[in-house]
Amino acid sequence: MSPALGATEMGPAPSRLAVIQSAPDFDLTTHNGERLRRRDLKNKVCLVSFIFTTCNGTCPATTHRMVQVEDALKAAGMWKEDNVQLLSITLDPARDTPEKLRHYMQLYGADDTHWTFLTGSADRIAQTIAAWGMWTKPMPNGQIDHPSRIYLVDSKSQVREIYNLSFMDPAWVVKDIQLLLQESKKLGNK
Amino acid sequence: MKTYLKYRWTWLGAGVLGGVLFAGVAAAETCLSPFVKRLDKPEQFLYVFCVDAAAKNNDFLIVIDVNPESVKYGTIIHQLDLGSSGNETHHFGFTDDRTHIWGCSLISSRIFIIDVTAEPAKPRLVKVIEDLPAKTGLTGPHSPYALPGRMLISFLGGKNGGLPAGLAEFNNDGKFLRTLDLPQDAPYMYDVAIKPAINRMVTSSFTPLENYRKPLAQMDLKNFGKELLVWDFHERKVIAKLTTGLAPLECRWSLQGKANFGFTNCALDDSIWVWEGNDNGAYMARKLCTTGKLPADLRQSPDDRYLFVSCFGSNEIQQWDVSDRKAPKLTSTIAPGVQPNMMHLTGDGKRMYITNSLLSTLDRAPTFWVRLAHVGPDGMKMDPFFNVDLTKFPTGPARGHDMLLY
Repeated sequence: MSPALGATEMGPAPSRLAVIQSAPDFDLTTHNGERLRRRDLKNKVCLVSFIFTTCNGTCPATTHRMVQVEDALKAAGMWKEDNVQLLSITLDPARDTPEKLRHYMQLYGADDTHWTFLTGSADRIAQTIAAWGMWTKPMPNGQIDHPSRIYLVDSKSQVREIYNLSFMDPAWVVKDIQLLLQESKKLGNK
Repeated sequence: MKTYLKYRWTWLGAGVLGGVLFAGVAAAETCLSPFVKRLDKPEQFLYVFCVDAAAKNNDFLIVIDVNPESVKYGTIIHQLDLGSSGNETHHFGFTDDRTHIWGCSLISSRIFIIDVTAEPAKPRLVKVIEDLPAKTGLTGPHSPYALPGRMLISFLGGKNGGLPAGLAEFNNDGKFLRTLDLPQDAPYMYDVAIKPAINRMVTSSFTPLENYRKPLAQMDLKNFGKELLVWDFHERKVIAKLTTGLAPLECRWSLQGKANFGFTNCALDDSIWVWEGNDNGAYMARKLCTTGKLPADLRQSPDDRYLFVSCFGSNEIQQWDVSDRKAPKLTSTIAPGVQPNMMHLTGDGKRMYITNSLLSTLDRAPTFWVRLAHVGPDGMKMDPFFNVDLTKFPTGPARGHDMLLY
């Protein structure tokens, strides 16, 4: 049976991945201490997670799942091009300095060819978190409560899927990214 | 590189362990979307979605103090006016991050978005989504089911109150994203349930607005569905259509790992049915047991062993041991009052809150209430003291329906 995708406010011929919202801009600092803005990733498909390096909740599993996605992209030959980017934005800028992020990346073996960890000033991070519909709540034990979502953004800066750990098979993520890259190609983007 | 790989495998183990531990906590709260953040402490407040019984005054949500340590335990501590009447406020559900409740209305097709985080004891109405039939081509929003960052809602009817019914997705801000259409030969809708571990979604069947807005004696019984649809959730594609008894309502997947079966209560067949998938990807459905009259709601114990079914027509709640699906056993029965309907079981499986309204067109009870049953090794027992009267509001009696815990 064919997909049951029906009417949308966006018009006919819907994609399997609906447009959920515009991906908010950000202006943050990478794990190498460099400036990175959302617009610098124009025309790339991005997978965006929110973690903090001292988390003992879902963040380790989230980062591990992103590693699995990285491996799956490599296996599919999709790591060689420069059209896919993984991003992990900290929820704890006070503690997650660029150095801490680099150390965390090493612990997980995250390949920074196309995976960037981001931090910034408290204000910038707070604005970014709010703009993406995320939130943080300090806990008495020093941990930070937060939703667990991973966003898939297309080359037009639109959020097209939101995963969480219950539903984020790396093979499906790769399939979703492939779909977005195909759509991007049809629209004439590189 | 070897050092990095060593740490990667170490954190892999920690991540998997963390995932297993997290999954253990996450599995504890039954009958909610698996994407909803779990309640990790004993409940403090019970939210009850209420219909003004005469449909003249505004519908509302009440907050009942359910903290046994509180001096206000068992009393209504807040009432949130939803700003309109005649809605038939019915089911509601948390967003994935548990900060908001989306409440659905079967007659007006309004959806109420309520903030429960700023002040959990005093929820605030933050948005009302209007004009849904025009936006979606659907009427009668029924089950708000959280997806990550979104809501998936089952709608009981088409734009003009007839068929086909359908599903619609919204982002958490309330913006309509898209509909999911139904096969032409299975146009009915009621509930939805997703089992992420096996990438499956199940939807069930009822009747559309043009029918359920009539009194029971005038309803066309030929205009009810008797299908379950099994979907590939990732692809949003129907892969199987199963025939059940008339009006399969609640969809309850097994809570065990990747177990590929679930249960539904067939309200006009007085039965519980089970759907089962096999290793070849095929599905079948069969009658599991005969229940009391008009089984209107179905709940699960967190250990997946028991089903609780409210028999609206015979004024009882039955507890069924379904650990052996070939030989289900009725293990206990309680009679909480006239026409028990909605139930809400706590995450530890020990307390079950109960209300007694189904639909304004179907209710026959002289009074409406919220009561409590305790679930223990010997089955269910009614709490003799917990009894919240829903007939004494300044605006008159109210029909309590769905419930959520905070």
